[in-house]
Amino acid sequence: MKTDEVKRNGVATRVAGDVAILDILGDLTAQTREEVEAAYQHATESGAKKLLLTFTKDAYINSGGIAIIINVAIAGRKHGQKIRIVEPSEHFQKIFAMVGLKQYVEIYASESEALLGF
Amino acid sequence: MGSNAMTIELQVPSTAGYERVAMDAAASVARLVGFRQSRIEDLKTAVAEACINAMEHAHKFNEAMKVVVALTVQDSTLRIDVVDQGSGMQNNPTDPDVSRKFSGEQAARGWGMFLIKALMDEVEFNVRSELGNVTRMIIRLEPPGK
Repeated sequence: MKTDEVKRNGVATRVAGDVAILDILGDLTAQTREEVEAAYQHATESGAKKLLLTFTKDAYINSGGIAIIINVAIAGRKHGQKIRIVEPSEHFQKIFAMVGLKQYVEIYASESEALLGF
Repeated sequence: MGSNAMTIELQVPSTAGYERVAMDAAASVARLVGFRQSRIEDLKTAVAEACINAMEHAHKFNEAMKVVVALTVQDSTLRIDVVDQGSGMQNNPTDPDVSRKFSGEQAARGWGMFLIKALMDEVEFNVRSELGNVTRMIIRLEPPGK
């Protein structure tokens, strides 16, 4: 797909139509909050109504990172955006289930699966 | 722990990101003991959260203040003491509730202790020792085939 691609520290944003894909490049912690918020802002200003957050398999996500996902999901609800998460490791899928995030954000095994019917 | 216990101790500065050093050390020890990978991942998250709590809440990210991490192995048990120089929690924090976070009644943060308790076999907070205030976590090796 044709994309408007913007890379930020720790986050690469791909926007195509009303879909924005935020690739979290590595760790998601309180230290990456500003990069994620800037990427989310860019995606929203670009008209994204559907957001995918992708992770690398070896990503380290801590409690600060969970808070970032919750804040993005809250902002997404306010803006009428659908949010899906792609490819967290098995461990972080378990963590997301433990904290109840799966009630609010759909999680998929691959980007192609997540984009189906989005 | 008993006389055949072996302890590995390290110190990390109270600088965000250095919890990774403690995580990796704990994972290395757990691997040597024979923990399976999913339990090692649980351990890494719990150690990271305990270190972050010490760095942020007890030491206010003062990098000169060290967080001590002691990993003690005995038989099929790994005990992790994370020691800070704070005075411990004065009040038990409210349990996080994701629905209250989404409704704005709770801040999005505040998952650290919840994760530690959920992932470890035993946890004690506010243990006083001569070294300081201790968060003590225990994780046990599961019998083969479990």
